[in-house]
Amino acid sequence: MKKLISPDELARDDRFERADMMDRIQDPRNGSEAANRGNGRLRPDRADAPDSARALMHGIFVGEIQALEGAGRTCYDFEVGKGDDDVPFELKLDMARQCWDEARHCEISVKLSEWMGTEIGEFGENAFLFQAACNPDPVLRLTGVNRALEGLAIDVFNTMKEFGDLAGDPVLEFCEDWMLADEVTHVKMGSDWLRKLTVNDKERQKRALEFQRVVDKLFSFGGFRGEDDDNPVHLARRFRELAGFDDVEMEEIAELSREARAEVEEQSRLARAANETATAGA
Amino acid sequence: MPTTVEPSTFRMVDFDAGEIAALTDELARKVGLDASVEIRVEVDETTPLGRTDLVSVDPVHIRTESGSFEDPKKIRRFSPESATDVLGRYLLRASDRRQGTFGDAPADEDLSVPQRTAWEVYAVGRMARMGYPVRRQRWLYAFRNRHGFTDDADGAFEQLWGGEDLSWSDIDRLSEATAATNPGPLGR
Repeated sequence: MKKLISPDELARDDRFERADMMDRIQDPRNGSEAANRGNGRLRPDRADAPDSARALMHGIFVGEIQALEGAGRTCYDFEVGKGDDDVPFELKLDMARQCWDEARHCEISVKLSEWMGTEIGEFGENAFLFQAACNPDPVLRLTGVNRALEGLAIDVFNTMKEFGDLAGDPVLEFCEDWMLADEVTHVKMGSDWLRKLTVNDKERQKRALEFQRVVDKLFSFGGFRGEDDDNPVHLARRFRELAGFDDVEMEEIAELSREARAEVEEQSRLARAANETATAGA
Repeated sequence: MPTTVEPSTFRMVDFDAGEIAALTDELARKVGLDASVEIRVEVDETTPLGRTDLVSVDPVHIRTESGSFEDPKKIRRFSPESATDVLGRYLLRASDRRQGTFGDAPADEDLSVPQRTAWEVYAVGRMARMGYPVRRQRWLYAFRNRHGFTDDADGAFEQLWGGEDLSWSDIDRLSEATAATNPGPLGR
């Protein structure tokens, strides 16, 4: 079987449509004032809340599929050994356990989608999670996926759990709470393996943490995740603490989110100015 | 009276004004708007968001952002299904408002979120009976979010979904009575 497959090789049936993140970033509509009208935190009193929650849940669903595929590939892509390209057998066991969890999350997400009135494949699928799971260095892969992206999953699940609680939806709240518990375990696995595998290699640890910062910033989605009232998804500090993040690391993620947001606002401002110039010229 | 779509040519999204006009005409006929009613559909193509407003009912003026007509799988592409969903609901609301039994309905901007959702359920239920492919569960979920995850809310939903010739007071009564029994946050 082939090792280190690319995101283009993931098996999907014809219900799924791959969405290219560059299309979203380069959308000429991003520069408008209205496009930057923040909807704020996901709350039931928002007019678009049920549909926004459905879209977010579909994003979680495809993320779970890719997390299953990523953990499965990590079990397979690396041999057991002590070299930099190898992994301890116990790491493979953790990844196998994660596969079990992610498969269960896929099943839960399908049921939740039915509950919320969403069809499988209703929204485009972005393959960013699996892209992070393509890193050929097992330490960087685990740091990018288990600490950055599974960390984002903690924030997203906590947001959805709060939404279910506020809306009085016992099914959503209960499912998100159970999946959140697993995500904390997955992030803890990433934190533990990062520490164990780099205990005598500070340079590798530095590269892994740098990779995590890149992933964290990229997937703050220009203000989607942050700590202000108008950030739809909030940093779940208590759960991150349980997963092995210290205060300094959480401050750093909060700062990266603010930076990502400022960059997107600046890009929007420039795009708006360019549109106005083009309109005036026409 | 022909439907007008603005802009006549789209530059930022892959939409066709003629296709939107044809879809609007077909929906207007099915929801029972008289052929003499002037309809104007204004699309703000500068934003990917999806807010829609019924600006007036005579003429019928629907203003929407391009995200509401967009294919959720393909960015900037037109989706006849999305457009049908939005235009159908707003044309039905316009048609309702043009009748005396909706004379006491608050202005759109004064509708509460539960009231608006209840009216939409009544509209989408009628679209389902017209043969349009709608997802009942999506609207049940939206209704429960505003009125409670309770048997009372589900009962009210059924009355709205299957309702014919309801008046504004019927919709408001169902929404208000059900929202009053909403237990609210779980508080876990």
